[in-house]
Amino acid sequence: MKPRSLVQVLFLFFITATATAIFSYGQQQDQSKVPASQKPQTPKTGEQVFNNNCSRCHTPPMAISPRITGTIVMHMRTRARLSRQDEKLLLQYLAP
Amino acid sequence: MPRGFHKQIRWPAATIAIVVSLACSLRAQTPQVPPVPENHAGHVPVISGGFAYIHNVNGGVTTLLPQINPILLVPFGSHVLLESRTDFTGFFQRENQTSGPFKGKVFKTVDFAQIDWLANSHAILSVGKYLLPFGLYNERLVPVWIRNLQDSPITAAIGTRTSGAGDGIMLRGLVLQRSAYSIQYSSYFSARSGVNQLEAARTAGGDSSIYLTRLRLEAGVSYQRFLQQRNINSVATYISWQPRTVPLDLKAEGDFNYNGRGYWTEAAYRLQQLPIPALARNIQLVTRMQQFFPLHGGGNSLPTVDTHRIDFGLNYYIRDDIRFVSSYGRSFSERGNANVWNVGVTYRFLFPLFPARKK
Ligand code: HEC
Repeated sequence: MKPRSLVQVLFLFFITATATAIFSYGQQQDQSKVPASQKPQTPKTGEQVFNNNCSRCHTPPMAISPRITGTIVMHMRTRARLSRQDEKLLLQYLAP
Repeated sequence: MPRGFHKQIRWPAATIAIVVSLACSLRAQTPQVPPVPENHAGHVPVISGGFAYIHNVNGGVTTLLPQINPILLVPFGSHVLLESRTDFTGFFQRENQTSGPFKGKVFKTVDFAQIDWLANSHAILSVGKYLLPFGLYNERLVPVWIRNLQDSPITAAIGTRTSGAGDGIMLRGLVLQRSAYSIQYSSYFSARSGVNQLEAARTAGGDSSIYLTRLRLEAGVSYQRFLQQRNINSVATYISWQPRTVPLDLKAEGDFNYNGRGYWTEAAYRLQQLPIPALARNIQLVTRMQQFFPLHGGGNSLPTVDTHRIDFGLNYYIRDDIRFVSSYGRSFSERGNANVWNVGVTYRFLFPLFPARKK
């Protein structure tokens, strides 16, 4: 296979993957499957902060020992630039 | 002090001043939020990091790459954090490249060693040696346990000269946060240093991105001015998207500077939603495509001829912290095409520095 056609194949893969994602996102919206808790009016929960942020950059750990949760969340605040309020919600969710 | 230093420092200093005052004024505007119940989170120092053993074959030459990158995190209260990462990577190749016994050595590098003051949501001040926040790669994807493909993108050399780190100060935080989106920034100034393990170039720059919370899409731009010998501007624009309903991870970045321009796009898909045996759902398929076009002869760790590269990866997650990784890549250039293979294992460790107290 020539480099150019390989590049085209890969580009197509990328576009298809993106399109699949957009499509399924749209579908979810159509079916109003978004839980009420995720609608903007209701106050944010720690679980939402976790779901919205912790798999952006890496696979999040399944469990963090409560003794180090504060340290980890401080560290991730510097990376993900989370707000102070998000930090409090996360700590409450991860180490209630 | 070299002539022109004041001139060079003036605009980064002004940028930082503007950002600080913006951060302070925004702080005053932060809406009132409901109180959060108490928690039991502890602030015990942490040792974490990545361990990997990678077997790499590039154009027929085998390299064994054992590596460990411990991170030390020591908090002082809930506002000050000391963080440091040291990288130990062994490079072992056959004596005559393709024959003979394996020989090599282990390289040690202090990647960063900094103190962070988490003043408020809008201002986190870091002082020391910090990772340059340029594009998606340097700060986020370098750890072996995070990257989906073990080889760095070609353009990772843009905006990260000379050591990938800066010595000086960095200010970062949220510009604003709404329920649908948040905007964040980083800005930094680094002094030139040739001190062993503290090598850095005189640079100034910043990064800003918008994160659309419901879409889980982030788009950003990074800028850096290299303030040594020839002043060089580097720019990156990037997108990172992890859709809510599909276990996909899409990332793309375009980079530009005096020595060249290029881009990479990467898609990673975990098979966890497919109707296949449970064991196979731990598989992640990855593909990356990249192109690089040198300008002014390229160089500074960038190719000197047009280069295209594609990579396919297959990773297997045994747990969230251990995985087998494998990839095949082919690079195309007028200097010749080459196949690159990687197989190995990566592990993320994480434990408190003090053992658990006896009850
Ligand atoms: C902006 C990207 C980003 C986001 C978002 C992010 N992380 Fe991280 N995380 C990293 C990086 C990069 C490292 C590795 C640190 C290093 O090697 O310098 C890391 C490391 C970790 C570690 C290992 C220990 C440590 O602190 O180094 C844990 C645990 C962790 N992250 C948990 C989380 C949790 C929980 C969240 C959600 C609040 C989160 N991460 C969000 C980038 C991110």
